[in-house]
Amino acid sequence: MSLMFLALTEMRRAKVRFGLLAGAVGLLVFLILFQQALLSGLINQFIGAIKNQSGQVLVFNDQARRNLDGSIILPAQQAAITKVDGVETASPLGQGTFTVTAVNDNETETDAVLFGYVIGQPGAPTSLVEGRLVEAADEAVASEKDRDAGFDLGDVVRIEPGGASITIVGVARDINYSVQPVLFVEFGTFEAAKRTRNPDAAAIFPSVIAIKVAAGRSAADVARRINEQVDGVEALTRQEAVDGSPGVSSVRTSFTVILGLFYLVVPLVTGLFFLIVTFQKASALTLLRAIGAPARSLVWSLLVQVVVVMTIGSLVAFGLYSVAIQGVSNLGVHVEVMPAVVTSLVVLALALVTSLVAVRRVLRIDPLLATTGAGVAL
Amino acid sequence: MLPLRELRRRPSRFIVATVVLSFLATLLLFLGGLLDGLYLGSTGAIRAQPGDVIVFSSGARDSFLRSRITADLRADVESADGVDAVGGVGFVLLGAKVPTKAELADVTVAGYELPPKGVPPPPKDYQGTADSSLKDQGVGLGDTILVGPAESPITIIGFVDDTSFLQQGAVWVNLPTWRAVQNANRPDSAVADDVVQTLVVKGSVVKGSVVKGSVVKGSVVKGVADGRSLSEVIDAATANATSTLTVDEAVLALPGVKQQGQTFDQIIYSTFVVVLAVVGLFFSLLTIERIGLYGVLKAIGASTPRLFAGVVMQAVIVAIIAFLIGSLLAIGAAFALPAKVPLQLIPSRFIFTFAGLLLAAVLGSAVSLRRVTRVDPASAIGSAS
Repeated sequence: MSLMFLALTEMRRAKVRFGLLAGAVGLLVFLILFQQALLSGLINQFIGAIKNQSGQVLVFNDQARRNLDGSIILPAQQAAITKVDGVETASPLGQGTFTVTAVNDNETETDAVLFGYVIGQPGAPTSLVEGRLVEAADEAVASEKDRDAGFDLGDVVRIEPGGASITIVGVARDINYSVQPVLFVEFGTFEAAKRTRNPDAAAIFPSVIAIKVAAGRSAADVARRINEQVDGVEALTRQEAVDGSPGVSSVRTSFTVILGLFYLVVPLVTGLFFLIVTFQKASALTLLRAIGAPARSLVWSLLVQVVVVMTIGSLVAFGLYSVAIQGVSNLGVHVEVMPAVVTSLVVLALALVTSLVAVRRVLRIDPLLATTGAGVAL
Repeated sequence: MLPLRELRRRPSRFIVATVVLSFLATLLLFLGGLLDGLYLGSTGAIRAQPGDVIVFSSGARDSFLRSRITADLRADVESADGVDAVGGVGFVLLGAKVPTKAELADVTVAGYELPPKGVPPPPKDYQGTADSSLKDQGVGLGDTILVGPAESPITIIGFVDDTSFLQQGAVWVNLPTWRAVQNANRPDSAVADDVVQTLVVKGSVVKGSVVKGSVVKGSVVKGVADGRSLSEVIDAATANATSTLTVDEAVLALPGVKQQGQTFDQIIYSTFVVVLAVVGLFFSLLTIERIGLYGVLKAIGASTPRLFAGVVMQAVIVAIIAFLIGSLLAIGAAFALPAKVPLQLIPSRFIFTFAGLLLAAVLGSAVSLRRVTRVDPASAIGSAS
């Protein structure tokens, strides 16, 4: 107990040293937390609408490279898809970005992504939190994140220039796409919006075909069959469509490398700091061993310091994270305690592991050296 | 020369700081490289435009893909005061079959009239100058690529650097070819024969005298006689049926460009603060270790500034070595990572990171200043062992 007291007293007296370490750890853990939140927010905001729609399989044009914006399905392809064994329903799903006016938000002009699906068919939003699904033309289910931007229940959104006025009848969670507000509408409303935007449009084709698979069949199996039997298309399960969306895999790879480096640096800084401190305290530790302090207590004292520094660092990190997250609230990310706790525990565990080098140094101290004065040597 | 000798004879003392700073340097270069890759890969085709301003239709919210400029609107722009040259531009993003390659290439078919930087005048129908990034996807000189679901053929007659659009290499074609490709492959976005997405406008002085030039985000917009900018004159001439931006503003209006820059900058500057804390931490530890020696040195006449200069010199050398190691690691990572990761390590990023590390090293080592200043030479007497 007295040794633990000694550990804490040492920290109190060397505030700058331990403060700098806790500060550095705090900043590093903050950057990990912030980037983790950013990653999940970005991915959700990029592809939430694909993730939270009811089509179990999505069939893209194979030239589109899994990009909704670049995909169109021709009528012959749709007919061929319908005939594939295991397809219970194949229904058009259209996607496009439009300029709209949020009438209830002071007539503010903004961008919105429309997803057009056939009522009662695959492609409907699955994460409704309030209101109801679309039952008629010029109705929409909007993304929950954009409630305050004129996309709340009962609000009206007008397609520009001078197109249909769409009433929000439902609100769903995590259905944004390309970090834009989303409106799920019936396919006819989507077609009309396309013609409003471009009166020269020769034809309006669906972007993808959304599929409900027959009972007892797996989505992966049906996707494989479609790819084998229909020319010029690429069928993907919902999860494959999410993971394969343009940008998602490159964003994931980039952030994985960045986070990996951060996870490497935190324990490295902590472990090496305590190793140096242990070297610097070698003579004092030798003396303590010589007057009877068991090695286990000295190790315990060292580990207490590691835990205290990491705890303070994690608290600093959580404070910074709570503030910084407000700056990216447009990504729909919120302060979440559990991921912060898990990250802090992982970082603590890694720091304890790297501190084992310092622990090993403590265990190797020979109390006899105190009698010769050699204990002061490093 | 004592600090240098210490570095040479006791390198193990500095390994800790060097290793940690090397990782942080790698991290900074990697973050910066990603930011540069995302920015350059998204904006090249716009930055290469030869005009002063870019004209969008007013309802497009400055989106190239949604903007539509009709012949009537173009005539209004051309007749505006100060307008010297006007060229139509159009983009369509598609997949392309490349000869001898199983994998499709991501291309942006870009129609133009005024040649962008490095691009020759508009070629014949169905010929195009490709962005050199498409070479990585197997596109070669003389190849005929088949673009989009309609497999529209375009023969590559040359290459140009740094003209990607939204991470897809551009293929520069004449406007009729762009329209044909767009209409065949995106019937929902079809355009009439005289329609373009945007106009690139070169402006000049009106009535022989510049009264006022306004500066918008670092680029000078030529002013006209009544003091309005070229953008304002054009929008007035079209009765606000257009939204005219400088090229720099148009770059920032591309989806995600501004937000990406802000987010990555936050992370990069926070990492510099970590570097500062780490340098401060390790050099304060080293200083504590050397307090006795500093006492002796002061007792034999060494001044505080000289001792502190030694600490700073060591921090700078450690930062330089860490930067070199970090650079090698970042370059290695760039080679090892898949091509889909938009990492671009450019000289200016290395210079920025190097300068940042040096600054952080100098400021971080300043943490030791207080301790060095407080060393009492008298303490050396009897304790100089």
